[in-house]
Amino acid sequence: MDSLLAAVIIGVSLGGQYALLALGFTLIFGILGVVNFAHGGLYVLGGYVAQAAVSKLAIPYPVAVLAAALATGAVGYAFERFVLERRIDDHLATLMLTLGLYLMLSTGILVTFGAESVQFAFPVTGAIRGNGYYIPLENLIVLATCLLAIGAVYLLLFRTDFGRASRALADHRAVATAQGMRPHQLFPLAFALASGLAGLTGALVTPILSLAPHVGDPVLATSFLVVILGGLGSIGGATVAAFLVGLIEAFSGVYLGGSKGALALFIIVLVMLVVRPSGLLGRETRGA
Amino acid sequence: MLAPLASRHFRRNSDRSAELRLEKISKRFGGLKVFQDVSFTLPPGDVLGIIGPNGAGKTTLINIICGNLAPTTGRILLQDVDITGKSIHMLSRRGLVRTFQQTNAFARATVRDSVARAFRFSGNSANGTDVTSLLRRFDLLDRLDEPTGMLPYGQQKMLGLLLAYATRPKVLLLDEPAAGLEARERSRIDDFVHHARRAFGCAILIVEHDMDLIRRLCPRILVLDGGRVLAEGAPQDVLSRQDVIEAYLGGSDETATVPC
Repeated sequence: MDSLLAAVIIGVSLGGQYALLALGFTLIFGILGVVNFAHGGLYVLGGYVAQAAVSKLAIPYPVAVLAAALATGAVGYAFERFVLERRIDDHLATLMLTLGLYLMLSTGILVTFGAESVQFAFPVTGAIRGNGYYIPLENLIVLATCLLAIGAVYLLLFRTDFGRASRALADHRAVATAQGMRPHQLFPLAFALASGLAGLTGALVTPILSLAPHVGDPVLATSFLVVILGGLGSIGGATVAAFLVGLIEAFSGVYLGGSKGALALFIIVLVMLVVRPSGLLGRETRGA
Repeated sequence: MLAPLASRHFRRNSDRSAELRLEKISKRFGGLKVFQDVSFTLPPGDVLGIIGPNGAGKTTLINIICGNLAPTTGRILLQDVDITGKSIHMLSRRGLVRTFQQTNAFARATVRDSVARAFRFSGNSANGTDVTSLLRRFDLLDRLDEPTGMLPYGQQKMLGLLLAYATRPKVLLLDEPAAGLEARERSRIDDFVHHARRAFGCAILIVEHDMDLIRRLCPRILVLDGGRVLAEGAPQDVLSRQDVIEAYLGGSDETATVPC
């Protein structure tokens, strides 16, 4: 019973982080039609910006987290506006460009901060203990922030003109532009939003896990996994799949442990995709 | 029930009719010449049919007029304003709106949301643009909350026309509106064209292979062939010309007629 509760808590906590990462990833794929290989790099950048703000500038951690989200958002905006936008309809070129951004980010971080992990501790310690359960406060704070951010993203996408236009462009770009929607104004903003989410997650999660130049690689892999499981480009699918993957990972980790747990995650996701190839909430449409 | 479908935007320009003029438009893709010196005028409120064999450049011409492609040379004027090379979304906001050969509806959105998007983002939309009667004619009124991607093909296609109508166009470019429709569904295109002209008096350019439809709707047609304007005039005059028949059938069979 204790381990069940622990697995649920870990799973939901992981799910919140994955959802925030996957939302950004699926937004860029859905709206721009771009697979963003730099997503993990932006996560790492967010972690380092927050760490530098706290350790070098003595900025309070919550402000540093906000600064990390804004800084990565600005990098994303500039990259889309001045680089990606020029080749936005060339799928191979966008793959190479986002991969290039990732390499530049990771090399830049390596040169600036070194290859070793840096000290970056979560400012709140302690835990809630009860009869058979133990919940670290840092996990609760991260989860609450992730849930707030996910709610804000949903409000932005479903309650603002930016969101409505973005979803229309994701649905059918040619028709949306023929009706007056302006992709070249929206694309940099969408990329900035997604990058900011990756940076926010990095600033929140790296103090709990670890912060080193290479920690973005598994983040990219997990984002891919969640987004494909949820249905490419589906916002709701990415959210549901993120929590599902978090729970599967936690349960298989608790009950199977280590490498067996990771293997179990991929097998379960593989079976799900065989049963439902378009993903959990990926939509099939009626053709001619 | 349809309150959300009524636009909340005020129209920017009360004049809903405009003249579209093409002056010596040419287009090359590398060494490939698609057409040369294509000129015509579409007066306000007029309907012009463009026909021609496959590969004549009809869809490329629509792509150039609507701003999807830039012409190699020549000018396009909307109400005497040079719009050559302007982007598609900018031209859409000025009232030059196109539809597509394939279905042009938002597959993931419901019918209701799709219409709301067309109202909200066109910038040309006007208070009181009433789409209810068109929704009823196209049997969409009972399906407002269904995702458009799950509608039958014919209804998706009609919804695409309706979305273009919801932007209150001055000039409407219809790219093969009857393609893929069953014979009994094609009369809805007639309904749509008459309705749009009555509602805003907009000029309409129709690219189409269905000659019956062209005859019914277009008092004037233009034939594109081999990158040039082969003929222009009333359908009964143009479609009986030997060179037009040959362009369509690729031969000079004396018994041949333009396909109906």
